[in-house]
Amino acid sequence: MSVPRVLFLLFASLALTAATRVVTSRRVFHAALWLIISFFGVAAIYLLLAAPFMAGVQLFLYIGGVAVLTVIAIMVTKGVMRLGTRVSNEPGTSLLMAVVLFGVMVWMIVSIPWQQLPLAPPGETDLAALGEAMVDPAGYLLPFEVVSLMLLVVMLGSLYLGKGR
Amino acid sequence: MAVLGVPLSWYLILAAAIFCVGVYGVLSSRNLISIIMSIELMLNAVALNFVAFARFVEPGQVTGKILAIMIYVIAAAESALGLALVISIWRTENTVSVEEISELKG
Repeated sequence: MSVPRVLFLLFASLALTAATRVVTSRRVFHAALWLIISFFGVAAIYLLLAAPFMAGVQLFLYIGGVAVLTVIAIMVTKGVMRLGTRVSNEPGTSLLMAVVLFGVMVWMIVSIPWQQLPLAPPGETDLAALGEAMVDPAGYLLPFEVVSLMLLVVMLGSLYLGKGR
Repeated sequence: MAVLGVPLSWYLILAAAIFCVGVYGVLSSRNLISIIMSIELMLNAVALNFVAFARFVEPGQVTGKILAIMIYVIAAAESALGLALVISIWRTENTVSVEEISELKG
């Protein structure tokens, strides 16, 4: 086993175990904390993928934004703290569906002859190319503006919904 | 090759596993906040897929990362709006259980 593989297995098991705990924790608050650990594991995987910028975005946006927002939402809705996540309708059927889906996905993944080595070494100007592509009219300027507009609309909508009557 | 790197399929299988855990969470949860957290797990797995593809099958290594960033934006919007809805429902119905929120049921 080479070092990258050992690191990958370590972080992958961390992310996967934490993800499993998210959906099996009895308390919603514990699930939110496990969610943060799972995001940390995926951020470490991004570092293995030679994408340190994406790892930073993962830390800032997912952990600093999404997960903390979830924790705050759990805290302000008094009484959810002691509410269980489980005791669901049909846990067995849900598990069966998830396992079947996973099996089909793994079967598809292993049956395709993927590229074995990374196509290009991580470039020095990686981040600059990313930024330029995002504001290039021939690149991704339109999606960039559309998600900006979507964020604005979502912000207004959340304010309206959260304002109360 | 001297140093054995991690093959692409490992990343894809990890992403598939996290995604399926999220699917299980969405299907089996009774509580709106847990469902939102499971959706975040699924979106995160998809972003991981895109970053892995950007590393392995794309010479420029840009498109996959931009798609992943778009997913981040959408995930942030989804969680903000979803949690605002949850808080709004909590205020009016005093519950976040999907079985008790049945006002729209015909």
